[in-house]
Amino acid sequence: MSKIDPIPPYQTHWDAGDLGCGELVMELMLRLRALQPGEVLRLTALDPGAPADIPAWCRMTGHVLRHCEPASHDFFIQRK
Amino acid sequence: MSKICVSLTFAKDNCDKATVAFVVANAAVASGQETLVFLSTEAVRLAVKGYADDMHEEGFAPLKQLIDNYLAAGGALFVCSPCIKKRGFDESQMIDGAQVVGGAKLVEFLSQGAASISY
Repeated sequence: MSKIDPIPPYQTHWDAGDLGCGELVMELMLRLRALQPGEVLRLTALDPGAPADIPAWCRMTGHVLRHCEPASHDFFIQRK
Repeated sequence: MSKICVSLTFAKDNCDKATVAFVVANAAVASGQETLVFLSTEAVRLAVKGYADDMHEEGFAPLKQLIDNYLAAGGALFVCSPCIKKRGFDESQMIDGAQVVGGAKLVEFLSQGAASISY
């Protein structure tokens, strides 16, 4: 994954607003569970910790961070 | 999967710490880690039915919601047995999902290579 990878098509969008830390990843886990393997969720997360947390969370859980857009706070996460 | 222990010793005497402990525990369990919250001393009150219902630290979700989400996601909740006895509680007053344990149960989990963070 890098920010220059193309934006993948996504099946759902979740605007998490200011949600961060454990509350963010807990809700993210539940929302990804609702998707089929291979489907992509576009996450918009404004929390300043999200750019560090989301890649780490993906590494731990095995979900794939396909693309991120720092300017728009968007993360495109593919369910494993 | 790693083992993560979040040790907490505060309740309404420090709602900030109590809340952040469960926020971190939520992060751990939602990250696929085998997670244990260990409540001891004053923190055992958090496992008493109804106690945490009105705890809401500004800037965070209500504590009861954090605890409920944590347990629903499969997090373990250990409550120090001598600490509840000292405060006049018994197992029947504990919330569903809480497990009253002695020190050996905690030490067993820690001895299996758990990383620990304390609040």
